[in-house]
Parts: sequence; C-alpha cells; structure tokens
Amino acid sequence: MEPSALPWLLGLATLLPLASFFFLLLFGPRLGKAWGDGAYVATGAIAAAGVLSAISLLIWLGHHFPGGEPEAHAAQAVSAPAPHTGAADAAVGSDGHAAASGPSYAGDYYLLGQFGKLRLSIGYYIDSLTICMFCLVTVIATCIHFYAMGYMHDEQREVTDREVTLRDGTYLTRRGRYVRFFQYLSLFSFSMLGLVLAGNIFMVFVFWELVGICSYFLIGFYIERPSACCAANKAFIVNRVGDVGMIVGLMALWGGLGTFAFGDLTHIDADGARRHEPGIFSLVRPVPGGPLRVPDGMVRLSAHREVAQVVDGLDRQADQAEIERAIAARVPQWRDGGQEGGPDGGPGGGPSPRGYALLVVAGIGIFCGCVGKSAQFPLHVWLPDAMEGPTPVSALVHSATMVAAGVYLVGRFFPVFTPEVLLVIALVGCLTLFMAATIAITATDIKRVLAYSTVSQLGYMMLALGVGGWVAGLLHLITHAFFKSLLFLCSGSVIHAVHTNDMRLMGGLRKKMPITAYTMLIGCLAIAGISVPFVIGLSGYYSKDRVLEQAYSFMMHADNRNFLASLLFYTAAGGAMITAFYMFRMWYLTFVGEPRDADRYAHAHESPRVMTVPLMILAVFAVAVAWSPPGGLGRWSGLSVVNLLEQSRPPHTLADVASPGLGMTWPNEHFAHEPSQHATIVVPVTWLATLTAWAGIALATVIYALGYIQADEVRRYFSRTHRFLLNKWWFDELYALAFIRPVQAVARLSAALDRRLLDGLIDGVARWTNRLAKVWDRVADSLIVDGSLVGFATSIYRFGVRLQRVQTGRLRDYVVYVAAGALAIFVAISFFRGFYWGG
Amino acid sequence: MVTTYLVLLSAIVFLPAVAAVLVLCVPKENVEASRRLTFGATVVVLALTILTFLTPLGGPFDYQTEAAAGMQYVFSVPWIPSFHIAYFMGADGISMPLVMLTAVICVLAAGASWSVTTHVKAYCVLFLLLETGMLGVFLALDFFLFYVFWEVVLLPMYFLIGVWGGPRREYAAIKFFLYTLAGSVLMLIAILMLYFASDLTDPALRPFLGKCYLPEAVQAQAEAGMTARAAGQTVAPLHTFNLLALAQIGQQTQQLGENLQWWAFLLLFIGFVIKLPSVPVHTWLPDAHVEAPTPISMILAAILLKMGGYGILRICYPICPHGGYDLALFVCVLGVVSMVYGAFAALAQKDFKRLVAYSSVSHMGYVVLGLGVWSATAGTAFNTDYWNMGVQGAMFQMIGHGISSAGMFFLVGVVYDRVHHRELDAFGGLFGRMPVYTALSIGIFFASLGLPGLCGFIGEILVVLSVWNYSYALAVISATVMILTAAYILWMIQRVYLGGEYKGPHGDALTPTTLRENAIGGVLFALTILFGVFPNTFLLRYVDKTVTRQVNDLAQWTRLVKEPAQQASVDGQAALEARVNVDLAKAQTP
Repeated sequence: MEPSALPWLLGLATLLPLASFFFLLLFGPRLGKAWGDGAYVATGAIAAAGVLSAISLLIWLGHHFPGGEPEAHAAQAVSAPAPHTGAADAAVGSDGHAAASGPSYAGDYYLLGQFGKLRLSIGYYIDSLTICMFCLVTVIATCIHFYAMGYMHDEQREVTDREVTLRDGTYLTRRGRYVRFFQYLSLFSFSMLGLVLAGNIFMVFVFWELVGICSYFLIGFYIERPSACCAANKAFIVNRVGDVGMIVGLMALWGGLGTFAFGDLTHIDADGARRHEPGIFSLVRPVPGGPLRVPDGMVRLSAHREVAQVVDGLDRQADQAEIERAIAARVPQWRDGGQEGGPDGGPGGGPSPRGYALLVVAGIGIFCGCVGKSAQFPLHVWLPDAMEGPTPVSALVHSATMVAAGVYLVGRFFPVFTPEVLLVIALVGCLTLFMAATIAITATDIKRVLAYSTVSQLGYMMLALGVGGWVAGLLHLITHAFFKSLLFLCSGSVIHAVHTNDMRLMGGLRKKMPITAYTMLIGCLAIAGISVPFVIGLSGYYSKDRVLEQAYSFMMHADNRNFLASLLFYTAAGGAMITAFYMFRMWYLTFVGEPRDADRYAHAHESPRVMTVPLMILAVFAVAVAWSPPGGLGRWSGLSVVNLLEQSRPPHTLADVASPGLGMTWPNEHFAHEPSQHATIVVPVTWLATLTAWAGIALATVIYALGYIQADEVRRYFSRTHRFLLNKWWFDELYALAFIRPVQAVARLSAALDRRLLDGLIDGVARWTNRLAKVWDRVADSLIVDGSLVGFATSIYRFGVRLQRVQTGRLRDYVVYVAAGALAIFVAISFFRGFYWGG
Repeated sequence: MVTTYLVLLSAIVFLPAVAAVLVLCVPKENVEASRRLTFGATVVVLALTILTFLTPLGGPFDYQTEAAAGMQYVFSVPWIPSFHIAYFMGADGISMPLVMLTAVICVLAAGASWSVTTHVKAYCVLFLLLETGMLGVFLALDFFLFYVFWEVVLLPMYFLIGVWGGPRREYAAIKFFLYTLAGSVLMLIAILMLYFASDLTDPALRPFLGKCYLPEAVQAQAEAGMTARAAGQTVAPLHTFNLLALAQIGQQTQQLGENLQWWAFLLLFIGFVIKLPSVPVHTWLPDAHVEAPTPISMILAAILLKMGGYGILRICYPICPHGGYDLALFVCVLGVVSMVYGAFAALAQKDFKRLVAYSSVSHMGYVVLGLGVWSATAGTAFNTDYWNMGVQGAMFQMIGHGISSAGMFFLVGVVYDRVHHRELDAFGGLFGRMPVYTALSIGIFFASLGLPGLCGFIGEILVVLSVWNYSYALAVISATVMILTAAYILWMIQRVYLGGEYKGPHGDALTPTTLRENAIGGVLFALTILFGVFPNTFLLRYVDKTVTRQVNDLAQWTRLVKEPAQQASVDGQAALEARVNVDLAKAQTP
C-alpha cells in the first residue's frame, strides 16, 4: 500500500475506540455475557486499532526503512533529500512532506473555522514518531484492556465499597460499573491516539484536554469516595494551570505565525486556487535543516510601532498588497536590528532579534502545558493523588501514555524551542527527577512509589530533551512506557491479591504469586538499567545511558564548564542510584521477607491468566524493546526503535547549537556516540551508570532484604529529612496556603461585593427613591400642588370679590374702561409689531 | 420575492402572537390544551425558520457568494411615514443563527413548561408574546421597530418572573424591569440623537443608498434631495431610523460627529450591556434567574442575554465607529473584568442556580471581549483576520452559551422540581440515583467548562486567541479564567453528582428522569457536541461572510479616518469620500 493510506488507516485506528465509546454509552448496560459485558467491544476496538497501527508500521517500513540513511551518524545533519512520498491527495487536502524535516505527511481532515487567511483545522502529521507512538499506545492499551477484564471483574456484580461509610454506619453498596470503566478506557484511547495523530498544535490542545478529562473520569472512577473526587478535581485543575501556559504559547504562535500546522499544507481555497501554507516548522527554520530564525510574523508583531510608521508613511490610496510589500521589505532589517539592551545573541550568532522574546514565550508556554501533563515540578502534585484510580488506569494513563504526552509534545515541538527554553526544560526535568526520587524513598503505598518513580523518570526524559538528546528522551519515553506499565500492572496484581496498597502489610508474597513477582523483578531491573556493560542489557539500560551520555557531553562541552551543566549531569547520575534503591526497596518489601500481615498473606493468590499473560507480554517488551538486531544482516540490521526515531529527528538538532546569550552550547546528540568519543564519554558514563544502579540495589538489599541496617534506625537518625520527604516537600500545604485559600477568599469577597456593594447600592437607591417619593408626596402634593391649587382658587375668589367693586353700574365708568382698554391694546399691538417687523 | 420575504419573516415573528390569541380562546380549565398549543406553535415557528433559512423554499440562506455578506430576505414597507419609520426586516449571518437559536430554545423551553402548574393559560400567552418579541428583535432592521420589539420582550418577562417565580419573585421582577428599563431609556435617547442627526440627502451617501433597502418613496426623496443639494439648494434634512442607512451614515459621512458618535455609542453600549449583562450592571441576573421558573430561566439565559450582544454587534459598532474605536480598551477591559469577576463570584455561591447565573456573567464577558478587540490598526498593517476571529468567536460564544446555559438551567430545574431546594451542599450522590440525568448534566456542564469537542470551547478559544494581537495582558488574564471556570464547575459537580449519598431533604423524590426531560436534555447535549465538533459546518460558515465584511469595512474606516494619527479625522473622512468618488468614476467609465 502507498503511504497515502496512512492518514486513513491511522484516522480509522483513532476513531474505532470512539465508536466503541459511543456504542457502550448507548447500549453498554444492556450487553450481556456474550459481549463480555461490553469489555469485548472496547478490547476489540483497541486491538483492531493496534492491527491498523501495525499495518501502518509495515507500510512505513516498506517506504522508509530505518537505518542505512547516510545522514544517520553524520556530524552535521543536512536535510536529506526527502524521499518521494507520493501525493497522497485526498478531498481534504494534499499530503506532502515538510522540506525542513525527515519524511512526514501532513494534511487536513476538516476545517474548524476560517478567518480571512487564518485557518483552524483538524489534521494529521505523520512521521516515524507518530507511527511509533501509535504502536506503543495500542500495544500497551490492548494489554491493559485484557488485564482490566480480570482486574475489574468485581464490578460485574453489586459492589460493596468498604472505603465509603454511609451516615447510617453501613458500607456503601452500589451497582457495578464494569461497562463504564471500559467506556472510559475507550474514550481515553481515542483521545490519546488523536493527540499523537494531531497535525497542528491546536488539535494537540483539543486532545490534550480530552485526555485530561478522561483522566479526570478515571481517577474519580470510585465517585463515592471523597478522596477520589478530590484527586480527580486536583488533577484536572492543576493540569489547567499548565494549559493556561500552553494557551499563552498558542497565542504567541497564532499571533505571530497565523498558523498552527506542524507541516506544510496545500489546500484549496473557496475560489479554487491551491494555496501553499508553510507550517510552524518551516516558518521557524526557513532554511531546510537550518538554524532557528525568528519568523516574520513575530518580528512584525514585536515591531508594531515601526510597522505603524511604515503604514503611515504610505499613500493613503495604497492597497493592502502595497502595504504588505513595504513591510516585508523592512522585516529583515527589523529582525537584525536588535533590541535596545545590547548585543546579546540569538541563535545563529547575530544579536538578539526582534520578536525573539515572542519565540521564547511560545516555547515556554507550550512547555508549561507539558509540565502540567507530565507532572513536572512545580505541577507534579496531582500525579501521586491520581493513584486513587483503578490500577489499570494508573498503568495506562498515569504512567505509560498520557503523562508521557508532555514529553512527546516537547519532542514534537523541539524545532521551535530556543536554547533558553531548552535550558528551562533541562532544569525543570533535573529538579523533578531528583525531588520525585527522594519522595519515592519514603512512600509506603506501593502505587505511590511507582507514581513518584514515574514523575522522576519523566524528569529524566525532559532533562534529556533539554540538553539536546532528542532520541535519548523519546527512547526513554518508549522504554519507560513498557517497563512502567509492567510495574503498575504487577502492583495491581499484588493489590488484587492482598486488597491493600500498603507495603507495610505485605512481604514474602513471591512464594504465593511467582509470575507477578518475577515479572515485576524484570521491571525493576529494567528501570534500574541493568546490563552487561557494552554487551547487552534491559531496555532501560539503553535509554538511560543515552540520557546520561547526552547530559555528560553537555557538561563536557568547552562552553558549558559551569555549575548548571554539572548539576544537570550529577543529579541525573545520582538519581539513577536512588531509582534503583527505591525500586528494590519496593520489591523487597512486597515479595521478600516474612509476611507482615498473616491474614492477608493467607488469602493471597496468583492472579488469573487474563492478568498474568499481559504481564509476560509487557515483560518481553521491557527487556527487548530497545534492542537492535546484530550487524551483518544487511539492511535488517538497521531495524531498531532508535533508527526509527532517528528518521523523525528534527533537522538541525544534529548541529551544535550555540547560544551566545547564555554563553552555552548544545552539543549535537551524535557527538557522544562517535567512535572517537567512545573512550571519553561512552565508557565512563556506562560504568558510572552501571555502578550507581548496582550501588542502589546493593543498598536496598542490605537494608530491606538482609536487614544489616535497620530502616527504623536510619529513619530516626534522619528524622527531620524523613518528615520532609514523607510530607512530599510540603508542596500540597504550600499550594493551599499560596493559591487555594487566596482564591477562595477573593471568591467570597467578590460574592460579598455583589451582595453588599452593588446590590446594596441598587437597593439603597430604590429605598431612597421610595423615601423621596413619600416626602415628595407630603411636600409636593399636599403642600405645593394641592396648596397651590387651593391657594389659586382662593386668590381667584378673592380677586373676584374685589372685582365686584368695578361693577358700579354707572355708564360713565364703563366708557372710561372701554377707552382705556382700547388704548392699551393699541399700544401693545404697535409695540409687538415693532418688535417683530419693525426692522 | 420581496413579498415572499414579507410573508415568511412576518409569519415567523407573529405566529407566536397569533397562537397567543388562540390560547386566549382555550377554556381556562383545559390546561393541557394550552400547553400543547404553545408547544405546537413553537414547533411550527422552528419549522418555518428551517424552511426559510435552510431549504430552497425560503432561499435558502446564502453563505457562499459575495451577496452572503449583505442582508438577505429583506423587505421594507412604510409603517409610520411621517417619521420615516418602516416595517423593515431581514436576516444576515449575524441575525440568522440567533433566530434559529431562539426558535430551537423556545421549543425546548415550551417542552420544559409542563412543570408550570399555576395560571397555565396566562403563562402560555405571555410565553408566546415573549417569543414574538425576541424574534422581532433579531429580525428588525428599523431602529424604531427594533425598539418596539425590545420593549415587547420586557413586559412578558416581567410578569413571567413576577407571577410564576420563587419566593422573592416580586423583588427580582422589579429589579429586572428597572435595570432593563434604564437601559432602554438610554437607548431611546441615543436613538433620537441618531435620528435627528441623520440626513439621507447627503450626497456622500449616494453610492451606498442601494445597500440600505429604503422604501421606494424614501429612496426617491433622498435622491431628489441629493440632486437639489448638489445644485446648491437648501433641503430639509431627511431623517431615518433605518439601521443599515445609519451604519452607512456613521461610516461614510461626517453627519454623525465624533462627539455625537462617542456619546451615542456609550448610551447604546450601556443599554445593551445591561442586558448582556456585564459587571457592574449584572446584579439583576442572579436574582432574576434564581426566582424565574425553569423554562423562563432557559430563555433568559439563552436568548435575552444574546439580545445585548446582538445589539452591540449590529448597532453600536457599525453606526458609531468613532465610539467603538475610542472605547475599545474600555470595552475589552469590561469584558475581562466580567469574565474574572463572574468566575470568582460563581466559585463562592452556595445556590445551584446562582452559580449557573454567575457562570453566565463570566461567559458573556467573552462576548464583550471578542466584540471589543479592535486590533486592525496601523501597527498590524490593518490586518483584520484576528479581529474577525474575535467577532466570530463572540458570535460562536453567544450561540454556544445559548445552548449550554439553557441546558444548565434546565438541569437545575429538573432536580429542583424533585427536591425543592438548590443548596449545593445538600446534594450529593445523584450519580447513583439518576444516572441518565447525571450523564447529561456532566456533558452539558463540561460544555460550559470549555471542554474541547463541546460547544463552549470554540467560542472561548477563538476569543482568547484573537486578543493577543490587541493586548498581551488582557489575553493572558482571559486565559487564566479557564482555571477558575474549571474550578467552580468541577467543585459543583463533585458536590451535586458525586459522593456516596444524597444529603438533602426529600431524597425519595429523586426518581430517574422522564422521557420528556431526557429528550430536552438529550437534544441540548447533542447540539453541544455537534457545534463543538463541527463549528464551521454548523455555525461559522454562515457567520463568516457577514462578519468579515463588517470588520473589513470598519478597518477601512479606521485606516482612512482614525489613523494615521497625525492627520485630522475630518481630513480622513474627506479622503474617504474622495476615494468613493474615484471609485464611482471608475465604475461609470465603462
């Protein structure tokens, strides 16, 4: 099949779970055993989506086989002559590939709105990263759907929830919500696939919010538990905080570029003309594969005063095209003109150009969204609480896919990030990985250990991307998705057996549930990155080593001999040790030693096949996903995830990027892997990583398996630190104090303002009007109106009485009156005549 | 054709009034007949609007050709000739969607009116009169006629709140009435100002007379006046109430001076913004909503508020561009303040309906903001695209909020009918008791929250994105409102629907929703999805041409009259007239 089928295949793969969602929404409760109470529908939909993704992968391999491409290990990436992709022309638009990046297909499905030249649409952007993510999401989701059939089977009957006590003292009994669970899973799968497929950042945002709301539903699945509801609200609202940053980023992009599309698009206007619309990637890197340049739109936005001057200077009869030409002619000058404040540099070595700040705002803004979704410091607080959801959800949504979406987006948006933004990303990742790892040491809830471990690992990915390790970060995303979903499902299996999350009530379980125990051990080894150095290792070895190598080569670069760069590397290396320590602490506490709760131990049992088979499948992936075939197989030797990802590498990330403004340089990612650097970078880093991992494991073994050191004593010795960690660095308390209470206070204030001030004002006016009316009634009506009427009548009467005296009855008097009256009238008329017409 | 439109639009507007007369003939005891007749009338009106606007029978509404930017379905017949008042109606991309919204919401509100059980006959009559008024407001193109319909809406609403409302209904009704009346009085002053300042015999208007759809006699009179003035004679001014003509006068001539436009804009704006409502003149809304019966709350939120937004878009900006340009920052700030303030106030409410009412204040702030962003200036090289997007976003927000707010008030009403209280803290656990109702509620409340895929999102995001090029600060503040919105909606959902058990009185009455209730909620929910997923197909393509034309005209006006700043505006106006003459000459040469 031609690649032109890809948008339709992947589109269909996205829509299948949506169809399943609506089907279950409408008919779910009526489906019987034959439909697996609805579970078969959802599982079938996601499995079919998985098949479609696999077909897409094959099509992709058929046309763009990874490896072998000459630029793969070149020191300086020059945009490869983009392979012919064939015009996948559909009614919706046309597919092409951005000249500025590797093979990719971009196009629109349909239009959301058009405002002059601005278009908002639902589209797709497909490259090897998209395909990888599709396969990853569908494989893990399918495993988890199967697993959930076993894990959630209690929900098929009436459920008594022992965590909810009603007012009358009984436990809550409710109908099971088995169908609803699968319905949410389907909606989530749709949203996640849509996010990955998205052809523009606006569509990413749309699906970003949709996965957020699915996460909300799934965290709050046990709606009767107040803790679950609060955790769900917290997750959504904290994510919204990040999303506001993302919207600000969107605004900066939209205001500056007028497009949200990643790749270049060609579409047909209403008047039938084909219009070529460059995407974001081409706009920020106009030279294919070249360095970042501030796009024209941002320059103009930033130089709006100068634009106004140009427009003012033109003849008023000038039409729009003329204005545009005049401005376009000045744009390069404005861009290079720099801002007041000195010759601090931008990319490309020139002085910081106009609009560069907007580019930074856009980058930071988009990254804010990623901070929320990927639970990075300082918005990490929601993820541990999100463990209130059922465990399959924690595995799928809160470790493998949704929370990795932030990392995915950073990877997708990589070409737009300036060095300043990359530094922020690296620092945030570094801080997060350390903080979360330390908290994980003291957690006693098995899922919370894994949650903090997830936060920490996501920090690794961010760190990797921030120091320029594009493949390192995304590879770690993929390997982490497998081993972390495995770990979560294993923990779910344990929880299923002992009905508690608390590791203090477990112990010795490996005898009762060996499959769970040993698959989980594989997961722990994978996340620790255990290997036979330079020979073979579990998947985590490959990805974590790459992260460390990139951080190391960042530190070793001649421009970066500063505290920050060292901090990034040493934190990451130290974090690797903590990771190994807390993972094995968890494993030992759960599976080794004497059972600490005999009752629970007695009832524990291995999970049914429907749950253990997914564990084994995921364990295989956790071991092998990062392997590459041995050399000597011809082109098949190139078939590895790393090489597949390399195809999507944003151009120019294989160049050293210097940032004069920061005085730092981002080394090209392949630098660390060059044969010449093998001894200076790869060897020390690999040994360091291996040693730290083993050191962590050894420490955990000494304390928790062998008991040479008593954990209680250590805790007492470091009681202050312990309390600090146990309370999760006091973040929740801090936020309550700094944000939640002030917001509530302002809310109460504004409500009171409404009642007291505004309504008080209105009511006061009404009251005073009323009073005034009463006074007026007394004064004006009785005194003035009535008074004057009566007075008038009285005076008329008096006047009449007086007038009686004129009636003398004597003719003489009357003649005098007539004469005087006539004279008076005559005088008056002549006076007014003179007044009017006299002139 | 003109007579066809006369019949069609008059039928749409006055059919409810005719039905009201019929309801009067129904015996008072036959409550069911009155309700059915009312419901039937609203359905027929909806059918008529669909026939008129969406099927070939009435046109259909043109949204593709260039003519789509102008008025369609226009007719104009003299009504009170001595004051040049015409019975003048028409629809374009701005009014058509609002007419459709009115027709749809009235059907649903009439369906929800079965919960009204006292004085049903009188209720039905007033309900139908209300519908006539609302449809008339959106279709009238004569300022006087507009004002008449505007006032026609006021009285039935007053009685509907005051008679069928809750315990504090009289207070609420009087508050509503006085607030709105204050706005109407200001509007009336502005109308008279504009009327007496306008003069159709201005020769500068000649090229634009054709767009104004004057009645023939007036057209002839105007042309004669122009000829006479051109010949140097003094001609008595020919005043007009024609909204289209006033817009041309405001933009193309110097009759309405800067000062007059500024004041007229302000008066009209205050009048409309009271209706909208915007902080600080919004306090009638929570009271009116809390006291009004459910279907009236639906209409109030879904349609009456939109009359304010419609007025600003149709009247304030085109007729008084000077005011609009000078006060742009004021309007935008007012919008943002409403958004923030409404959201904060909603967060603190303890009454379910008051919370929804304050959410309306917050959401209508987006409308004000979207209409206000006058971002086509010299600094942006008069690029109208972002402003256009803001105005279309405001239009979408009006329709989207119309759907979601009607749904929210309906849902509150459903549960109020059962348990007779609205204390947010005395709910809980409805999820288990009323599953379908809860599903519909969560869907519709999420539309209000601005969840993508539902109608609330598109309006908000279009407005917010368009503000960036006007002001960074306002844009960022308006984006942060999203957090507050999520907070109050989610917290409300938690308190009402989630949790283990119902905590309030009358728990036994929490029966699952009836078919009628499900149908109304279901239609609204379906509409939120359709508008949210296909905004272009269902709304924006109809709006696009009209709004684009209006915004482009105003940008052109800005360029020639208001900017560049160093040249006096009168000079610019002269340039504009000169340019028009050049165009005319060009047009006449071949």
